[in-house]
Amino acid sequence: MSLSTLLFAILGIISFLSFFFLLRYKASSKQTDRTNRIRWSSYFSYKERKGISQTKKVGSDGDAEFRE
Amino acid sequence: MSNHSALNTFGRSGNPLIRSDIFSSRASSLGEKMTLQGAVDKTGILLFLTVMTAAISWNFQGPMMGAISALGALAAFVSGIATFGFWFFFVGWIVKPRPHLAPKTAPIYALGMGFIIGIMSEQAEMMFPGIVIQAVSLTFFVAASLLFAYKSGLIKPTQNFLLIIFSATVGIFLTYIANLVYSAFTGTSFSFLTDNGAFGIGISLFVVAIAALNLVLDFDIIEQAHEQGAPKYIEWFGAMALVATLIWLYIEILRLLMKLRSR
Repeated sequence: MSLSTLLFAILGIISFLSFFFLLRYKASSKQTDRTNRIRWSSYFSYKERKGISQTKKVGSDGDAEFRE
Repeated sequence: MSNHSALNTFGRSGNPLIRSDIFSSRASSLGEKMTLQGAVDKTGILLFLTVMTAAISWNFQGPMMGAISALGALAAFVSGIATFGFWFFFVGWIVKPRPHLAPKTAPIYALGMGFIIGIMSEQAEMMFPGIVIQAVSLTFFVAASLLFAYKSGLIKPTQNFLLIIFSATVGIFLTYIANLVYSAFTGTSFSFLTDNGAFGIGISLFVVAIAALNLVLDFDIIEQAHEQGAPKYIEWFGAMALVATLIWLYIEILRLLMKLRSR
């Protein structure tokens, strides 16, 4: 293994670890508190899928009412 | 025992196999919100799947592997279109984005793309030993640098930024399609795409830059979806978008390095 390959491997490992380390943290307020952000919700809907909880109400609606 | 306490003790059904707590846990899982950690985990899973199939296609060459890779490429293409949609000029959306499909399509996409990059990497490594490790390292170096720039607020994606990057990406995509059609008829590619001269390298650098800036859009999708309390499946959608761009960036860096090394 040549020295350059070794150096690239070290750079790759450090970059890989930094990438996954940074990805789990929230962006700074400088990034998030802006008025000119892209509105991704206008490009694709988060609420398109209707799960069981949205199509059928899971709760007491379908159940008989019991008196105490 | 009152009726309510009986319900609490035994559940709404008398059958212990369908106790109410099982249904309530199912309901709560459907209403779960995405987290940044979840998106990180899914990205890790998809990258692992990509590397796994890439290692298979790297090590097992032959007509059988060629057929499997072609099938994988087709599956990845269909999964990508089904999830991200397909937009056509003057016509508008032909296939609308369907993020809710991502939990199923993302692993298929990662596995399929793994086969393709495995074959490409193996051929590149045969021609230029050590090139794959350089390309992988540079890909993650670029990704980590841009992620830092994004998280710290140095790069701020706006609507204009999106329009420029989207237009450039569509332009590159159409050029590649035109090249594919051209090479099918003539047997040769556009010279500016394969040329190792200054112009060809300049084109490659431009494509690498656009692919890298697409990463910023992916980071923004994940960040904003998390802020808005998007459903859990958006973790898969964000991770799939991120892995798709990482794969594209890797391929472009590999092509750029091949041009540089062949000079």
